Amino acid sequence: MSTLPERPQGAKRLGLVIDLDTCVGCHACAVNCKEWNTGGEAGILPDYDKYGPEPDGVWFNRIHSYETDAGGCSRTVNFPRSCLHCENPLCVTVCPTGASYKRAEDGIVLVDTDKCIGCQLCAWACPYGARELDEKAGVMRKCTLCVDRIYNESLPQEERVPACVASCPARARHFGDLADPDSEVSKLVKERGGADLLPGLGYQPTNKYLPPRRATIPTAPAKPAASGATGIGAALLGLLDRALSR
Amino acid sequence: MRPAASVVLLTTSTGFGFGLLAWLGAYSALGLLPQQGRGLLGAGIAVALLFTSTGLIASMFHLERKERAWRAFTQWRTSWLSREGIAAVLVYPVAIAFGVAFWRGAALPGTRVLGAATVVASLGTVYCTAMIYASLKPIRQWHNAHTAPDYLLYAVFSGAVLFAVVRTAALGSPGAVASAAAAAAAAAALLAKRAYWRHIDGQAPLATLAGAIGLPKGIEARPLDAPHFTENFILRQMGFAIARRHAAKLRSLALIIGFALPLALSVLGEFAPAPLAATALALACAALGLAVERWLFFAEATHVSALYYGRRI
Repeated sequence: MSTLPERPQGAKRLGLVIDLDTCVGCHACAVNCKEWNTGGEAGILPDYDKYGPEPDGVWFNRIHSYETDAGGCSRTVNFPRSCLHCENPLCVTVCPTGASYKRAEDGIVLVDTDKCIGCQLCAWACPYGARELDEKAGVMRKCTLCVDRIYNESLPQEERVPACVASCPARARHFGDLADPDSEVSKLVKERGGADLLPGLGYQPTNKYLPPRRATIPTAPAKPAASGATGIGAALLGLLDRALSR
Repeated sequence: MRPAASVVLLTTSTGFGFGLLAWLGAYSALGLLPQQGRGLLGAGIAVALLFTSTGLIASMFHLERKERAWRAFTQWRTSWLSREGIAAVLVYPVAIAFGVAFWRGAALPGTRVLGAATVVASLGTVYCTAMIYASLKPIRQWHNAHTAPDYLLYAVFSGAVLFAVVRTAALGSPGAVASAAAAAAAAAALLAKRAYWRHIDGQAPLATLAGAIGLPKGIEARPLDAPHFTENFILRQMGFAIARRHAAKLRSLALIIGFALPLALSVLGEFAPAPLAATALALACAALGLAVERWLFFAEATHVSALYYGRRI
């Protein structure tokens, strides 16, 4: 249903915390996301013109790289972009069919692809560009926060995290309950000043981004190398040096 | 935003149809349509419903899964698109009941009430259509105080021009009231469009790239590498851009053909020897001009998400 749910007291707010300081921009999260979500419950994530000159397809997670002066010097900031599972998701409320919905129990925003008519209004309503049209099935697709992994009892406990988090080699992606102030992710957000994207638009994203840390390490200015020897010995050595250098 | 033909046709064609219904209802409610105008009213309602149906059928082409379109009538609590669908369908029985009542007695109070109801239902539908766009926060050119009143005004204007044609065809002349109404609506629509363009030209972008990626204030960001080398759904839909000089030309075209010429022709229609030709030409100009205007409404709109790809918003 397009109406936002009443969130029960103590309901979880599951989401990601992404560390822009340590993300190396390897795209492993995007690839593993595509791999997991093209199979399993959510599959198939389509590709078009796979081996042609204009390859294209649906991805839930896309990695941009930017040049910034964050941290006091010029540096690259890699930025993974996916659904932020907002508390105030306009993509849900604009949906005319109720295909888009937000779960009361954990805040995950999902699309019921059996109800979607492919009007694409939700994609227009999302400022983060997180929703993409499946042009083969004619329905809208988006990040599910790997809802078919995180509650999947057939997986070992340590694998019950979103595929993007499981694959990140830089440990730049963290998954947890952002409604719980004592969770690891909430602590990270507090310690590192985790930020909302485009807070002014009022979507109240659940996912948070940790800003790059200061990149320069203060060092003392280099001193000219001091000569070790002094006195008559030094003078003789200098004479010798000049003679040999001739 | 990509200007899809289906949506341009939907919004302009329903504007003509609902606008005409609103004028028929209003004239009747005010007692300005005599009982002899039965043929005019019948033809008017038929023409209006032809225009609205054309638009609504066009909107179906925007849906990827047309067979599920009925589901769009269910989420009226939150969705303006759902409300638009319901309102558009409700107009039909109201308009037909109004037509039947008028046939039986133009001066009966029930007829006048149904005329007023037709005004409310048709303009209400136009308002719902406008709010679909006006409620989208990521698009500054739509999410503002101009969008909803402008859509209503363009529907009233296009309906007035269409009414003049129907009245001329039925009764031989557009009549002073209808001619004056069409000219006044054209002038108002022209001024509103100019005010809208002035407004969007003066707006600041909704965000900066650094803000969009969550960097603290005072930090600059420039695009280095995109996630992919080819266009994707987001860029095709949200990254559509039109060159400024093309937009400027199209704006002038829309103003002249869409508003100024219909204004002049509406005045002329009352005095010209061939009023049907004049009013029909006004209608053709308004249709063409409004199609250009509506195309620009989409083409000039920018979406915040294009910022991630380094596009201007």
